[in-house]
Amino acid sequence: MAASNIYVGLEIGTSKVCMVVGEVRGDGAIKILGVGQHPSAGVRKGEIVDPETVQTCLHDALMRAEERSNVEVNTVFLAVTGSHVQSLNNRGTIRVADEQMEITPEDLEEVKKIARDVPLPKENGYIHSIIQHYYVDGQDKIPNPVGMLGQKLEADYHIIHGVKTRIQNAIKCVREVPLEVEDIVFSPVAAAQVVLNREAKNEGALLIDIGGGTTDYICFIDGAVVASGCVPIGGDHITNDIALVLKIPLARAEKLKVNHGSASLRGMIDVDITVEGESGKKVSQELLNQIMNARVTELLSVVHEPLAKAGYLSRLGKGIFLTGGSSLMKGIADLTEEIFGIPVQKSGSAAMSGPSTLFENPQYATPVGLIRYAQLLDEQKPKRGAFSKLGEKLEKIFGGGK
Amino acid sequence: MIEYHQAEQGEFSDTSEFGVKVIGIGGAGANVLDRMALEGSDDAELLTLNTDVRALSTSVSSQKIQLGATLLKGMGTGGDPTLGKQAAIEAVDEIRKAVRSSKMVFVCVGLGGGTGSGAAPEVCRIAREEGVFLVVFATMPFSFEGERRMGQARTALEQISRYANAVITFDNDRMGELIVPKDGVAQAFAAADKIISQSIRATMNVVFRPGIIRIGMDDLLSALDADDSRCLFGYGVAKGDNRSHEALEQALKCPLLDRGKLLNEARSVLVQVAGGDTMTLFEVQLVMEEVAKHVGKQTQILFGTGTDKRLGNSLTVTIISSIAGPAASSMRAAQAEEESAAPAISLGMAPASQPELTQPIRPVAIAAAPVAPVPAPIPPVEEYEPEPEMVVEEAPVFEPEPVDDASVFEPLEEFEEVVAEEEVAVPSYAPDPVPPLHRAPVFQADPDEVPELVNPIARAMAVPAEPAPLSPPPFPPQSHTNEVARVEALTESSQKITLTRVVGSGNTGRIKTRDPLAPALDGPVLPPAKPPVIPSHDAAAAELSEEARQQQELLQLDPVAGRGRFAKTDPTIVDGEDLDVPTFLRKKR
Repeated sequence: MAASNIYVGLEIGTSKVCMVVGEVRGDGAIKILGVGQHPSAGVRKGEIVDPETVQTCLHDALMRAEERSNVEVNTVFLAVTGSHVQSLNNRGTIRVADEQMEITPEDLEEVKKIARDVPLPKENGYIHSIIQHYYVDGQDKIPNPVGMLGQKLEADYHIIHGVKTRIQNAIKCVREVPLEVEDIVFSPVAAAQVVLNREAKNEGALLIDIGGGTTDYICFIDGAVVASGCVPIGGDHITNDIALVLKIPLARAEKLKVNHGSASLRGMIDVDITVEGESGKKVSQELLNQIMNARVTELLSVVHEPLAKAGYLSRLGKGIFLTGGSSLMKGIADLTEEIFGIPVQKSGSAAMSGPSTLFENPQYATPVGLIRYAQLLDEQKPKRGAFSKLGEKLEKIFGGGK
Repeated sequence: MIEYHQAEQGEFSDTSEFGVKVIGIGGAGANVLDRMALEGSDDAELLTLNTDVRALSTSVSSQKIQLGATLLKGMGTGGDPTLGKQAAIEAVDEIRKAVRSSKMVFVCVGLGGGTGSGAAPEVCRIAREEGVFLVVFATMPFSFEGERRMGQARTALEQISRYANAVITFDNDRMGELIVPKDGVAQAFAAADKIISQSIRATMNVVFRPGIIRIGMDDLLSALDADDSRCLFGYGVAKGDNRSHEALEQALKCPLLDRGKLLNEARSVLVQVAGGDTMTLFEVQLVMEEVAKHVGKQTQILFGTGTDKRLGNSLTVTIISSIAGPAASSMRAAQAEEESAAPAISLGMAPASQPELTQPIRPVAIAAAPVAPVPAPIPPVEEYEPEPEMVVEEAPVFEPEPVDDASVFEPLEEFEEVVAEEEVAVPSYAPDPVPPLHRAPVFQADPDEVPELVNPIARAMAVPAEPAPLSPPPFPPQSHTNEVARVEALTESSQKITLTRVVGSGNTGRIKTRDPLAPALDGPVLPPAKPPVIPSHDAAAAELSEEARQQQELLQLDPVAGRGRFAKTDPTIVDGEDLDVPTFLRKKR
């Protein structure tokens, strides 16, 4: 594995289609070779509604990415999201055979199979099943039980699933470009690879990726994923709200949001802002902020509720990481802190080599994360014997990080 | 303030005096009843009907009747409606006895299984034969229960709607989605039961609560106007300083109302504000002003208010309405063209036993009649089997209306006699497009001859007696057409005339404007009426009504205005709120 590998991450977002070409060197360092992006159309709430339009955008992004990286792109890792994606935690238990004292990799397979065997709605399929912890004879949080002595082996899994056909539609759309999809990754899982470092995952962190059409979140405690999900509300909604309340076109609402708006009501000076355009309509800063504040407050509350109910919030040592394009909004960190009561930081991805501005921009957390994800996936492959199955690739990424 | 004694208005504050019975049929029906009993329903007698004796024994309602004691020996029907029907027939005397004492019966039933789908149409038939005012709350099965159960449910619903004065359907699929997408099964079902029991209770309260401004049965019918397909219902109760606002807020929050947005499309909305003695005029005014913001300018608001000591410090707001499915509205438009008859026709729930309804002589109908001679019974065959009684051979001459009970059928010759007496030449009777909610069996009434066979009383048809003047008719009796129809109505009307007066007298204290489209409800109404008969205009209309009927079976919430660019996407509903609508606008309300 000394040779370097090139991976391509593709995110078809509500606001942009973004393709990142990255090279993973023999020593594990990642270099971003090129990025191609194009404002997207035909995507609503993170899901493709108009495949033809999306393909046009996709094609454009592909051209640019290939041109800049000087690489011919054949396969991609595709980020998926959407309101249909759900997650749950499940525990599987097996008894290890009496004569066999040590826990074998086969036992892990078995327990995983049992843990994964949760009744999903019949139209749903697994996107990820991520190991959280193993328990051997009641001893908890064992990262790798193979070789240990024990009779009862338990495994906690975090299972992310979604409606098969809706995922397949995204894959189909990409394949028709044509590009092969090597794997699909739930967006926040990818983003977490670059936004959260190992320390943050171990101490507990919540990543909230507020994008154009959706807000995805993933919560790590003790190095394991305990919750993840997608709320189909994002920056588009804020723009839409502004347009509807102020009765102005969407394009102007977007400008107003980006240039003048703030999600926080604190420290605001109420002045009139002139909306661009011939009408010269004036809008009160206060009203604008109220509209945005109402929406973002509601959005964050929807994320907050299940996490608070499960008692995760008190265990987030590293606090909250905001990413995604909408996290660039003014005042959003203050508001998040107000709602969750935990320190908040805005964050893009951690440093890699390549055009540096890219990583600092939270808009690119997910596509860059896909490269990282691909790298981790690949690292495991040689280690695994013939028994490994494709679906298990994630174990190391999340479970081994202790 | 002018003081008066409320009772002088001739209202019936005491429901037991009026005889209200809530009947739950089968497992689902029993669940709703149990929910009602749990919430303390002293207003009405609860009666559970079930085949499964074990389920019956756990029911908490005051009266119980075991269906099919000998046929099924206390077991369930195993999902077979035929067994359910036979079981009901076996207990027919008991049911008849139980129903006889009531003036108004609510039936709640979960369709799709054996007992519900089989027994409910029988019970409804018996109830109608006893001349009660019948409102059915039917729950359609989840789609995952399979095509077969859905088919059984549809067949049963079709039969039920022939007998009932009003049918309100709840779609389980939709309910599940609306209420608690992620909660446990038990909670989801409990919530669904709760919505149904609330609707029943609210309907009862609205009609029976002592009113300063009273709402009568006719108002209710007008609000549920049957050719509008989807029933909207909201109920809220609140205490404290801001109670009027909070109660309305709650009512609008009810999932069936979709935050009041659907009210915009409704043609008439019934609103009742009730409270204890402390309720002030200002509070009522506040509520009504708020409501007015939610409804369109053309919407008729049927408003009622009343005080009820039992409410203590709380204030309740009840909103009942229905909105048209697209097909229903286009159908209405088509009807509007036929000037003379249109108003009467558009009222799905209007009493069909008023002979006047069939009367208007319409050139269009004449033209249509021969063209549409029967061969196409409107319901598509895949959907439900035509009733065995809809014998196609008879088609060219008569299309006897589909009736369950074969005994109701009189020999064909008698029909012919009747017609002959009237010297009517044109022979074609065709089944008809019918307002969606009530797919009443219908006859193509040729302008000259007529006899509209309306259901349970079809046997009266055979009696060519001279019509006795019945209820004071809104329209003057005119032709022989009229008379024949009256003969049909005779038996039924005489049974029900008491009720008519009751309702009529309730009108005295009412204040409201009348929707020009609803004139048939003006004047004394015969509540225990049948769905009206509409002569078919043409095949297109038939299609429309078919469409409307299909839509009726879903309690749909259409995406409404206010969602901007998300108008065409799946609504994102959390806690009953559509998150695609600007938060700012929602919170402001």
